[in-house]
Amino acid sequence: MTTASAATPSPAAAADDLGGGSGGAAIAPPTRKKRRRSTGWLAVLPLLLFIVVAFGLPALAIGIGAFTTSDDAPDPAQWTGDNLRLSVHGAYLTALLGSVKLSALTALLGVALGLPLAQAVITSRFRALREAVLAASGVLANFGGVPLAFAFVATLGNSGEITQLLHLSDHGWSLYTFSGLTLVYLYFLVPLMVLTITPALEGLRTQWREAAQNNGATARQYWLHVALPVLAPSLLGGFVLLFGSAFAAYATAAAMVGSSVPLITLQIADALSGNVLVGQGNVALALSLDMILIAGVVMAVYVPLQRRSARWLR
Amino acid sequence: MTATLEFRGLRRVFGSTTALDGLDLTVQPGELVALLGPSGCGKTTALRILAGFEQPDAGEILVDGEDITGVPAHRRNAGMVFQSYSLFPHLSAADNVAFGLRMRGVGAAERRKRAAELLELVGLPTHGDRFPHQLSGGQQQRIALARALALEPRVLLLDEPLSALDAKVRVSLREEIRRLQLELGITTLFVTHDQEEALSTADRVAVMHGGRLEQCAPPAELYDSPATPFVAEFVGTMNRIPGRTGSDGTVEVLGRRLPLRGEAKADADVDALVRPEALDVTVGGDARVVTASFHGAVTRLTLALADGTTLKADVPSHRAAELPAGAAVTVGLPDRPVLVDDRAR
Amino acid sequence: MAALTTKPATRPRPRPRYWRGVVALVAGLYFLGPLLASVIFTVDVPGQGFTLGAYTGILGADGFLASLRLTMELAVATIAVVFLLLVPAMIATRLAAPRLSSLVEIVCSLPLVVPSVALTAGFVSVLRWGPTKLSRTPFYETILQIQNPSFPVVLVLVYVLMALPLAYRTLDAGLRAVDLSTLVEAARNCGASPARAVLQVVLPNLRGALLNTAFLTLALVLGEYTAGAILGFTPFAVWIVGIGGSQAQVSVAVSVLSLVLTWVLLLILAAAGRGRSFRKSRTSQETS
Repeated sequence: MTTASAATPSPAAAADDLGGGSGGAAIAPPTRKKRRRSTGWLAVLPLLLFIVVAFGLPALAIGIGAFTTSDDAPDPAQWTGDNLRLSVHGAYLTALLGSVKLSALTALLGVALGLPLAQAVITSRFRALREAVLAASGVLANFGGVPLAFAFVATLGNSGEITQLLHLSDHGWSLYTFSGLTLVYLYFLVPLMVLTITPALEGLRTQWREAAQNNGATARQYWLHVALPVLAPSLLGGFVLLFGSAFAAYATAAAMVGSSVPLITLQIADALSGNVLVGQGNVALALSLDMILIAGVVMAVYVPLQRRSARWLR
Repeated sequence: MTATLEFRGLRRVFGSTTALDGLDLTVQPGELVALLGPSGCGKTTALRILAGFEQPDAGEILVDGEDITGVPAHRRNAGMVFQSYSLFPHLSAADNVAFGLRMRGVGAAERRKRAAELLELVGLPTHGDRFPHQLSGGQQQRIALARALALEPRVLLLDEPLSALDAKVRVSLREEIRRLQLELGITTLFVTHDQEEALSTADRVAVMHGGRLEQCAPPAELYDSPATPFVAEFVGTMNRIPGRTGSDGTVEVLGRRLPLRGEAKADADVDALVRPEALDVTVGGDARVVTASFHGAVTRLTLALADGTTLKADVPSHRAAELPAGAAVTVGLPDRPVLVDDRAR
Repeated sequence: MAALTTKPATRPRPRPRYWRGVVALVAGLYFLGPLLASVIFTVDVPGQGFTLGAYTGILGADGFLASLRLTMELAVATIAVVFLLLVPAMIATRLAAPRLSSLVEIVCSLPLVVPSVALTAGFVSVLRWGPTKLSRTPFYETILQIQNPSFPVVLVLVYVLMALPLAYRTLDAGLRAVDLSTLVEAARNCGASPARAVLQVVLPNLRGALLNTAFLTLALVLGEYTAGAILGFTPFAVWIVGIGGSQAQVSVAVSVLSLVLTWVLLLILAAAGRGRSFRKSRTSQETS
């Protein structure tokens, strides 16, 4: 299908400036165009200033601090790679790997469970159900943290309702473990997946299904050869998004497990509240830098995938 | 190789809308029949039932005498070209074409060969590696056509394949579709709402209205001898001239008494249905020329009769000079039986 | 050529969609279960049987009102700042300088690359510059003030950053649905000044998106724990965790209530917003 309007604005491909849709640039008098441009800049200025101060300063602090010796170290302040080195060793490494493992697992499960759920919802005959589920997903995907953790503690914690009902602790169940955390994370990851994949599923044109049937494909063949391949960029994009979300999550884990599960976010929080060895205060910043790098990679993978799937599923 | 197609008493109701109300139609082997009608007349529903995407509430579909109503869509082998957006976006043109073969389990080498043949057939031999978003609308529909033909279907179904295309592409593509259809001799059903398309490509045109078949006849017969007033007015332009039927199978119109074509109530007020090219316009009289519109070989005049009726008449353009706007004219009718309809409000 | 079956006409029965029911059941159990269990947990105190003490005790709980008030104030401030920063910028760039809109998009997506913990770490560092590097400059006072426990502006800064990506996307969707330049030109054509055109024509059309943004930001601030906890303040979520140690029932009760409340708010919002656009975009099936 010939590509339609530029629905996905790309940072790289900036649209040509024709000035608010009226007339060609060659015709508009230069002063009017200039005045419009300056209005634009004026309107954007507060936003830019805010970002520079509120975002730039902390980012700078992380960038510098990660490479500087900590204030409470015996040596005077200097550039060093020690912080970064330490951030990928020992307990910190365990935490990093733990976070990656948890995020990868929950993202995978989130994709595998979110897809059929989304499909079930949009193929339902009840319009109201679809709207309700999408709204609910919006809430659940963004709510996160503390109430979620507590709800699960009340359900499956050591004195939780279900735990007591089914005598789960006798069978060795504990919520405050890796698997317990996985179960809890899915509560906001699956809705996030549903939100992400629903537009893609709706973009699957009925003509494709019919054309596939017309060419002799059974339902299984349709999904295998047409639907899943077309959805692949969205599914991957969803995985990456879920991974990023799980990786950055802090509140849920903090409210639930304390330090019984090694996660990098918990480590950073500990480090910031002084719970580190003397002389390693800035390791928290190095760890933050590690996290930012990983999140950056996640975004770098997600954006092109998003573009590709948007093109196919317009 | 190519099949006879038959719709028998097809009925389909959607909620409170009756999409098909007893359709009976037979398509002969190798024939191209156009299903023509306004939107909502049931033509696409009939096609989709044939393809297996809908189930009729009553009636049967027979291909070569076999009832296929119970056969699932993916086993019907009735190649279909959709209106738009039907190519799989993640596959190249060649892979799209070969898709059906792949579902059948045909080997890769054989598939490639066949796809190349088909691409050649539709005039896009070098476009096999392109993806749908890199093709124009016309090219996409050609690929869709190639894909529909890949499994050597007994019937070819076309669901308004040209509606989404530019006017110029539409004309060239429809001629190509007809050429291919004749070359392959494949029984074809072509759904369209554009009468020019239907009349210029089909062997027979089935005009549908309100879920029923009004008339199925070759284009010329449809035009010259419309069976019902709906067909008369839907196909081509038709004038409605007030008149009155007598008691002897005649009708009085424009001051003449002419025999009736078909049935009509006796002694009733009616409208006579006459084509613009059948009207005879001569200088002098109590009718007036309102406007003239140049159409190349003919000029279409809009005339106003003394009683206020507006008519359209086609005259050869070289006569247009003597019939300018405002000129007084007389309108005459040929010596032929006249089709009538109840007087319109 | 495929051989068609020679069975006499049997219409294939529509396959019953079992799988949807199964999925719905499992999903229902998983998502509603914990909520139900939480409610039971709060009303079924061991040794006291059924009691609503957890809920009635909320209002009297130490620090509940204070933390809730603080959070709501912070939320209002955050929403206000987000609107002031984003709305003029997005409208103006769309109308006057489309090239800048990519800049705005990038800028608003930056916080996505920084997880909240990392961002908080950065803030902690900057705040520590106060007593160390900036003690002799006027900034020292600023840094102290924004950490004022009765209204920590620093939290507003963090919240705004966190809300920017979501707010941008919501407002962007709302702006896309409106043909902005045509609306403004039509308004100008009828004699409105640019400011009036925006205020009286554009903003009312964005009502849905603005409300949406406000509510999502509210939900974000209500649920935000990371920055509040690490920076040492006591907004709502931090209070819940704090009281969880001593009064488990109350903390769970509050969690349940806040979850339900946000859910209801967003459902209402979704119904109102989607209802309007939904009716516009639904097209009936062609039956020809």
